[in-house]
Amino acid sequence: MTPAVEADGLGKQYGSRVALDSLTFSVAAGEVLGVLGPNGAGKTTAIRVLTTILPASRGRFSVAGVPHTRAADIRRLVGVLPESAGYPARQTGEEYLRYFARLFGYSRASARVLAEALLAQVGLSERRTSLIAGYSRGMRQRLGIARALVNDPQVVFLDEPTLGLDPAGQRQVLALVRRITAERGATVLLSTHLLAEVEQVCSRVLILNRGRLAAEGTVSEISRRAAAPRSARLRVSAENVDRARATLGGSAGIEHVEPGDGQVGSLIVMLDGPGSPTSMNDGLRALADADVPVLSFELEGARLSDAFLAMTEEA
Amino acid sequence: MAASARTMSKRHRRGWAIVGEQELRDLWLGGRGLLLALAFSVLVSVIAYLTATNQALNFLEQRESVNLTLQVAIAMGSLLALLAAADAVSGERERSTLESLLLTPVSRLDLTGGKLVAALSLWLAAFVITIPYVWFLGRGIDLVADAVITGVVVGTLLAVFLASLGIVISIFANSNRVSLSVSLFLLLAIFAPTQLPSSAQKGWAGELLLRVNPLTAGEHYAGKILVNGHSWSEDISWLISPIVAAAVFSAIAAIVGARCIRLGRGATE
Repeated sequence: MTPAVEADGLGKQYGSRVALDSLTFSVAAGEVLGVLGPNGAGKTTAIRVLTTILPASRGRFSVAGVPHTRAADIRRLVGVLPESAGYPARQTGEEYLRYFARLFGYSRASARVLAEALLAQVGLSERRTSLIAGYSRGMRQRLGIARALVNDPQVVFLDEPTLGLDPAGQRQVLALVRRITAERGATVLLSTHLLAEVEQVCSRVLILNRGRLAAEGTVSEISRRAAAPRSARLRVSAENVDRARATLGGSAGIEHVEPGDGQVGSLIVMLDGPGSPTSMNDGLRALADADVPVLSFELEGARLSDAFLAMTEEA
Repeated sequence: MAASARTMSKRHRRGWAIVGEQELRDLWLGGRGLLLALAFSVLVSVIAYLTATNQALNFLEQRESVNLTLQVAIAMGSLLALLAAADAVSGERERSTLESLLLTPVSRLDLTGGKLVAALSLWLAAFVITIPYVWFLGRGIDLVADAVITGVVVGTLLAVFLASLGIVISIFANSNRVSLSVSLFLLLAIFAPTQLPSSAQKGWAGELLLRVNPLTAGEHYAGKILVNGHSWSEDISWLISPIVAAAVFSAIAAIVGARCIRLGRGATE
């Protein structure tokens, strides 16, 4: 099966500054790929090269099976929400979408139908005749996503879609991303530096750092690869703290247990040497046998955020 | 959903027409065009009043009144086209709306063409506003038809030249401020020869200067027809410069537009 996006040795240089260096990866059709990286990692440059807005300095790529040499054909097959996209303040949401539909070849009548359908899909039907100037940032981002879907794209590139949104706005946008793949079967490349977003919606992750590919894989693969767990944080009820400490202290693979800071009943469990995701299983089993209810549990150093920090700091 | 709505236009319109239509909507329904047209009509009213009163006091002949008003209208109408064109690409870049446009399958040449059409609409509106004033000033001397035709020909050539120049500047400028400043500076440089003393406009060097500059050449041609009563063909050589400028700069705008419209600075991470 042809990958939805395939990049081979992709490079982009601005004068002597290297923005992208030998980027090689592929994305399967229907996948949601998270493109992670700190500011200046090359995420936006990668998206602009893949969407043919910027020419690559080196390497080749294809999008939806179309080689990079056919830029106009690629543009027909992709939908893009650029980073910090601007919107014409004096147009209504409906006029804006109708205009882009017409630029993609729709007739006047079908552009109107499409605009209404897309506005309904992103939850902006009630504001369709309002000027964009009156839209909140979250509404503008949803309008931008609707515009990215105007041509029924096979691959959707979303560059920092939740930037500057409040938690409710972020949730709405992420729900939209999930719907794009579920209902349309489109492939999504989601560029972000918010790790929670990636953990919520992405099936695979690409970590960029200083224009280079630092890691690639599923969220759990990358978390495992980058940082083996060395401790765990768990919480039990206040009356069970002493019993939990005694039970865990006698379990295999646990060096010692100390009180956690902050919440009542919080404990930090130090593992005996570099652990694995199953390092705490014996201890948890012992707590269950001792009838100590565990209110919360998390392995430290096994989260994507730890992996991200480890990989971007290493490089 | 999208598939059902995806009924492509049977007569697929050219991209420039779609871009042009939207640009015209933004310009005129957005209010900017109307505001500029209002300012223009106030200016032409003042000029017409002054020339009419001078005419009444016998300081100006009726033909000269028509010519003066028409020349101001041509110059200011072209200036409006230049201002609109100077905002065309740099404005999109500054408002961060350019990237979305470049991501559509519409060619960059079509984008340039659509924006040029919208800019020229300001000249057209300015000229339509001028016609009643020309009619009023020229009534009774059978000059209105000549003035309208001369105005359309000379004004359109100059508007195409200046709007194309504005688009080219806008494509290379990274901000609207730079684009508008450079455009106005060049316009002043083009206007400058019209302010030379008449002694400096004589002799072969003076005539060459007038002939080479599209603005002075066009206005000279209009003056010969409207004030001196020359025929259309008698001084046609004075139209060479406006014709060449309009043709060359619209070709440059087309080439530069097709090849050089980029996101500009700030397009990197």
